[in-house]
This record gives sequence, structure tokens and C-alpha cells, in this order.
Amino acid sequence: MSPTEPAVELHGITKRFPGVVANHDIDIEVAAGTVHAIVGENGAGKSTLMKILYGMQRPDEGTIKVAGKEVAFHSPADAITRGIGMVHQHFMLADNLSVLENVVLGAEKLHGIGGKARRRIEEISRQYGLGVEPDRLVEQLGVGARQRVEILKVLYRGAKILILDEPTAVLVPQEVEELFGNLRELKREGLTVIFISHKLDEVLSVADTITVIRRGTTVDTVQPGAVTARQLAELMVGSELPVPELRESTVTDVPVLTMRDVTVRDADGRTVVDDVSLTIHEGEILGIAGVEGNGQAELVEAIMGMLPVESGVIRLSETDLTGLVTRRRREAGIGFIPEDRHRHGLLLDSPLWENRILGHQTRPPNVKGRLIDRQGARRDTERIVRDYDVRTPGIDVTAASLSGGNQQKLIVGREMSGRPKLLIAAHPTRGVDVGAQSAIWDHLRHARADGLAVLLISADLDELIGMSDTLRVILRGRLVGEADPATITPDQLGSLMTGAGEGSAA
Amino acid sequence: MIEQEIRTPAPDTDDRGQRRTRVLALGVGIFVALILLRLITGESDITSSGTMGATLALAVPIGMAALGGMWSERSGVVNIGLEGMMTFGTWGAAFGSYFSGNPWLGLLGGIIAGAIGGLLHAVATVTFGVDHIVSGVAINILAPGVTRYMSDLFFTHETGGGATQSPPLPSFPTWSVPGVGKPLGSLEKHHWILVSDLAGLVRGVLTNLSPITLLGILVVPASYYLLWHTAFGLRLRSCGENPVAAESLGVGVYRMKYAAVVISGGLAGLGGVFLTMVASSNYQEGQVNGRGYIGLAAMIFGNWRPGMVAGGAGLFGYTDALQLRGGGGAVHAMLLLIGIGLLALAIWRGYKRRPIAAVVSAVVAVGVLLWFFLTDALPREIVTYSPHITTLLVLAFASQRLRMPAADGMRYRKGEGH
Repeated sequence: MSPTEPAVELHGITKRFPGVVANHDIDIEVAAGTVHAIVGENGAGKSTLMKILYGMQRPDEGTIKVAGKEVAFHSPADAITRGIGMVHQHFMLADNLSVLENVVLGAEKLHGIGGKARRRIEEISRQYGLGVEPDRLVEQLGVGARQRVEILKVLYRGAKILILDEPTAVLVPQEVEELFGNLRELKREGLTVIFISHKLDEVLSVADTITVIRRGTTVDTVQPGAVTARQLAELMVGSELPVPELRESTVTDVPVLTMRDVTVRDADGRTVVDDVSLTIHEGEILGIAGVEGNGQAELVEAIMGMLPVESGVIRLSETDLTGLVTRRRREAGIGFIPEDRHRHGLLLDSPLWENRILGHQTRPPNVKGRLIDRQGARRDTERIVRDYDVRTPGIDVTAASLSGGNQQKLIVGREMSGRPKLLIAAHPTRGVDVGAQSAIWDHLRHARADGLAVLLISADLDELIGMSDTLRVILRGRLVGEADPATITPDQLGSLMTGAGEGSAA
Repeated sequence: MIEQEIRTPAPDTDDRGQRRTRVLALGVGIFVALILLRLITGESDITSSGTMGATLALAVPIGMAALGGMWSERSGVVNIGLEGMMTFGTWGAAFGSYFSGNPWLGLLGGIIAGAIGGLLHAVATVTFGVDHIVSGVAINILAPGVTRYMSDLFFTHETGGGATQSPPLPSFPTWSVPGVGKPLGSLEKHHWILVSDLAGLVRGVLTNLSPITLLGILVVPASYYLLWHTAFGLRLRSCGENPVAAESLGVGVYRMKYAAVVISGGLAGLGGVFLTMVASSNYQEGQVNGRGYIGLAAMIFGNWRPGMVAGGAGLFGYTDALQLRGGGGAVHAMLLLIGIGLLALAIWRGYKRRPIAAVVSAVVAVGVLLWFFLTDALPREIVTYSPHITTLLVLAFASQRLRMPAADGMRYRKGEGH
């Protein structure tokens, strides 16, 4: 037991929303001067818990103690006066204001908005090694630097306990290392950090204690030395982890997608897809392995008709797709799970049932004659929500209010319900939790057994190897190799992807 | 991916001192160009004290509207209702000064009337979340109706008054900087290079000043100080950039927007006071005549910053003054300046390897220059419209490098951020 009073104690916290219990019987003790991680799947209730701790929401039951004293927060301001600060996942910064202005905003009484404040910011920046320059405009900063500004904002207000909500979600690996360096520095200075994440490797490397949350309640608190990432993941999911694998081959010799010598150039005239030929058959999943930015995205966009093809032929069964617009291609039988569901696949501010219509606006059940059939679309959206286990309070909420995994399940359900012959799945399980991942894999397997052809692109090599019948490697826009998913290891595939052993590994 | 999208290339990182030097250099450059133009074309009105004085008089109402727009938009509320608020201001000035007999109460009345227009806009956009453009247009439609009604009610029974105008109003005392008028006047008559031009500029700006003009000039640095050097200003600007972030830091976003829009209306009202009591001697219907919109253009031209906004108002004021005083000849002379300017632009764009833009600029430049050399004067109709054409051209050319407040014009509801 630590000799001092815990920095934060949460006991029996319960929070109900209409129709859902977000948290129940949460018990957490955070020792002062430690990094305490809270892990759980998306939608497990981590964010609600942190909003309660930061005074943005009030618990229905339970007690919160800060440094041994029971507190009741009515607003973030109350939490701030108790020394609790929050670094939001989505940065709360005004781009066109300077770092100084962003930091002092709302706390002008502390040190004014001029030279005194600037000196204080420089002092804090030096003390914790944050490297923040007060006079830069925020829009000139990279993501890592913005995050340090957010941390500094909280420290400037005198916080002793920092809540970081999924801080690594927007960082590249190098920036994650820097962030963890900063966190260790904060710890050394005696501050307490509560770190929310679902990236287990990161949690294991930086946390002193880990609390696992599943379905709104705390299931265990463990020491990072005593568990592996896999054990933690199983604690999070509550069952054994799903494994990407295909059983017996369902590959037929009926070609669905045929590409012959396809070349694509980008706006600057660079060749991004170079002379690609491939065939995907009924019941076959063809995986494309490659380091990101080697032409995968452009290959997909060329098939979908989002990028013009310079030369070559793309055929779907007997149909020549080359001259068709995207909608015609979809109608011809292509389903598409885009790699960035916020930029492509969804209208975030529209309700689920309108999103159901998107891309299928010419086909039943969404239309009757030439008009949109609202009732039909709504009924079918309800079917998707049911069959694909999309966790949502209803089909009238906006897509933005769903977690990433549930948004993805909605997209998968929508694309499958068009009964496609070919499914293009670009990173189908990126950013989704373990439960949704296993569900999406199941759907792919079933559709494959029914004769669907799938083009799978993924950065997750386990997924790629486990879920593909055939593997091709793309490098600088060219298909440079072929691999047998039954025998290749992720390491071997990785070196193929970087061009280390050009040629065939099969 | 996300990282790449957020890391936009850094714009040129000039600090304030550099920016100030650049603005100053630009001002001096323009003045020198005008002197050269006067020498070449012999149009003395290009730099005469009369033109300069008229510039100031015409720029003040536009500048007040522009600064008003800036205040409002810095807090994130688009204020296209400036025209209507100025109209309220013109009437309020007449009402206040006529019935009290005191011009200063006219000033107060105009500002209050404009501020009431602003308050209306704030209630609609901030409290009820009405689209900013819809509310602004509604105010512009409402204002002439209300002022006509009120004039009918208050002015028709007074001598010289009517439904469309007020009786003659008491005027403000004017004031000149002592010892400037006469010597500079004689200096100006000599038409010496630079000396006479400078004398024209100084004499035009420093003589026969109305207190409203002075007030209007003072509002520029005052706005800068308030918005950029006080906590109040920082909070107000944060609402225009990222209200959700501001809310998360305890800023009363609604309160800030209300304050900004009411101040905006007050400034527009001040512009109205100038039109009624300084530029004219009574209130007349339709006196504002689009200056609210030109003010908005000056605000955009000025990139939502007070110094440049004032410069934009000055530009519009100058073209207006030129067409009023110099007529066809002086405006015709301007063609030369525009042609040469466009030619320079074409060369610059060619240097920057933007061939299409360069060719377009060059072709237009040649066209304008041909127009200058082949004609002696411009048709009267075009001369009258030169301020509006200037507005159009300036917006078309300047709007590419501008940076409006990030959350400008967006509906904001408390507690809806993530």
C-alpha cells in the first residue's frame, strides 16, 4: 500500500442515461504520483467515467474523493479548483490564436495575458520539458505539439491530477514516445496521471497500474509487469480473443474482378498504380499487403471509379467498368468499405437510416419507383442494426454519435445488403474494438462462403494473412510479389512489403 | 491521414513589427504612385486637399460599418445587417439631436439606435440560433420600414420634416489644427512634386475636422487595443475561433457574442450619425445607400484586422472622393495605375510559375492600358460606379489570402460540443 492518501478514489459510481446504464459500481483508487491507466473497449464507459470525474456529468450514485476528501463536482470549474485537469481527445484549441492566448483563455486572472503569463508558460514548459513556444500560432503546430499545449493549459491552471483521454489516438509512434517521456517527467514532479486508452502495448509500457473496464464496470486492477497484452485484451473483451482465420477454401474458378494492365496517375502526373493485373474469383479473398502510401488507396479508388484510369481494363464479371461512374459500378455489384469512414462512407451529421440510403439511393428497399421510400429504408436500417449488432439507441440518432466500431458495423451491414459480387474492404477493422473486429471477420467469412469476392487491404498483417486466400504485395504502385498465406509469417511478409526480397516467396 | 491533414503548411510567420512595417511601406508606396500619376496625367485632384478631406469624410461611415462588422465576426456572428443598423443610426441621430437641440445627444441617439439593431441580431442569432444571413437580411428589410414609420410619427408635423426626412439638425462644431490651413494651402497651390502632395494630404486630414471624424479615427486603435490586449478581447475572439474550446475554459460564449454584436450595432450607428449630422445636415431616407455592404467588403479586404480594415475603408473612400471631385478625368487617370498594377501582378505570377493567372492578368492589363491611352475620359455612368467596381475588383483579387475567424457564421449551441 502506498504510504500517502490516494490522489483519487471512486467508489460505487453508477450513471444511467435514458435506456442505458453507462457505468455501474465503478471502484478505482489512483495512487498519488503514478500513471494509472484505464482500459476498455470502445463503449465500455471510460469516457463517461472521466466526464464524471471532471465534473461534466454527475453520477447517480457513488462517491468521489480527491486527496481523501469527498467532493461533489457541478462543473469542470469545480474539478479545476480541486486540481483536476483534462486533456481532451479532440483538442480544444483555437487554431488562429497563439499558444499564449490559448493557454491563458479563461484563466486571465491568474497572470494576465501579457508578459507575466508568457514567463509563467515558459517556466512550466521548462520545468516539465514540454518545449512549448508561447508566441507560435496553434495552426503552425503539429499534433504532438498541440497535445503538449493542451497539457500545459491544464498545468497552467495548477492541476495536480491530469486526465488524458485517448491521448495517443492521433499521434504517430514517434510522438507517442515523446508523450510518454513527458508523462514520466510529470510523474517525477509528483503529478498524478490518469490515462485512458485501448491500445494495450502503450498502456503496458507507460502505466504503473491498470484498471480494466468492461460493460460499464471495473473488472480488475492489475500491475503491468504481471500481465501480457493478450491477457489484458481478454480481460477487456471478457472472452478469448478472436483469431483471423479461414477454414476450407471456397475459391472457385469463376472470375469476378479482372484487372488488366491498369495504370493510374495522380494530379501531379506521378504514376501511383503501375501496370496492375489481378483476378479475384467467386469465394476468394485477395489480400493486398503493402506499406501505406504505396498505391493501395489509389488502386481502390480506380476500381470504384473515384480516380480516372490512365490505361488498362477493369471488368466485373462480364461488365466492362472502365467507362462507368461510381454509382453505376456500385449498381453493377460492388460493395465498398472505405478506409476512412469519416471522410468517405458516412454522413456524420445524418441519422442512421439516411446513411443506409447513401450509395444505394437507386435500389430497393430505399426507393419505390423514382422516389425515396423512407419506410423501406428505415425498416431495412432496423434489420441491419439487428443483424449486425450495431449498438445504438435507435435509427434516428446521427452517425457521429456511434462509436467507431458500431459505425463500421453499420457500413458493413449496408454494403452487404446490396448483395454485392465484389466487396472492397479497405482496413475493415481499423480503429474498431475487439468485439466488432470479430463480428466483421465473421461477416466476411459468411459472405465468402456464399460466393462473394473480396479485395482486402489492411495494415494489420495478422488479419491480412489469416483472412486471405491469396496475398499480393504492392510496392510503389506495382504488384511485386505473391505469397501463400498458409505458410508466410508476418515477418516475412513485412520484409516483402519493404522490397527487401523482391520476387515471389511462395 | 489525420496527421497530414492537421499539419497544414505553416503560413509565413511574420511577427507584428514586420507586419506593421509592411503596411507602412504599402501606404507610402501607394502615395508615391499617386504622386507620379498626378505628374503624368496632370490631374491635380488626385492628391489635392479637397480630395483627401473628402476621402476622410467618405471613409468614416464605411470604416465604422467595417469595424462594426469586424467586432461581430470576431465573435463568430456574421453581421450582414450592418446596413440596417446604420439606417437605425441615421434616424436615431436625427431624433436625438432635433428634439434636444443638442448634437451630442444626436450622437448618443444614433449609437443607441444602432445598438438596438445589434441587440435584435444577437437575440435572433445567438439565443434563437437563426441563420446569421437570414437574420441580417431581415434587419436590412426591417430598418427602412421602421424608420419610415417613426419619421411619419415624429417628423411630419415639424417644419422642414416629413415622412422621408427630418427637419434641419443642429450641427457639431468643426475644428482645425491651428496654423495648418493657410500655409499649407498656399504650398499646395504651387503643385511642387511631393511637397504640394504632402501638403494636400496633411491639410485635407487636419482641417475642418468634426468630432465624429475624430471619434471614428480613434475607434480604430481602441478596437485594436480592446480586442488584442485585454482579457475581454481575447475571450471575444476565442468565441469566433473555437467556441467549444472557449466554453470548456469557462468563457460565457453567449455573453461575449451579445457584447460583440451590440458593439457592432453601436459602431454602425455611429457611422449613421456621421452620415446624418456631418456629411449632411438632416436625416434623409436611403441616406446609407449601400455603405453597410461596402463596409463589409472593407472588412473582408482588411482581413478582419483593424488597421487593414481602416485601410480598406480609406481605399473605398478615396475612389468615391475621386469620382465626386475629380470626375471622369481623375478616375480615367486611375486606369493607368490599375493597368500598371496588373502588369506588375502578371510579372509576379509569371515569376511564381502560375502561367494561366499571369496571362489573364497581362491580357486585362493591356486592355486597361489601351483603354487609358485610346480615350480621354470615362463615360459618366462608369465614373459614378467606380467605388462599387473597386469593391468588386478588390474582393476578387484579395480574397484568396484572407483568413476569417474559424467559427464565423456557425450556429453555436451551448453544451453541444464533444
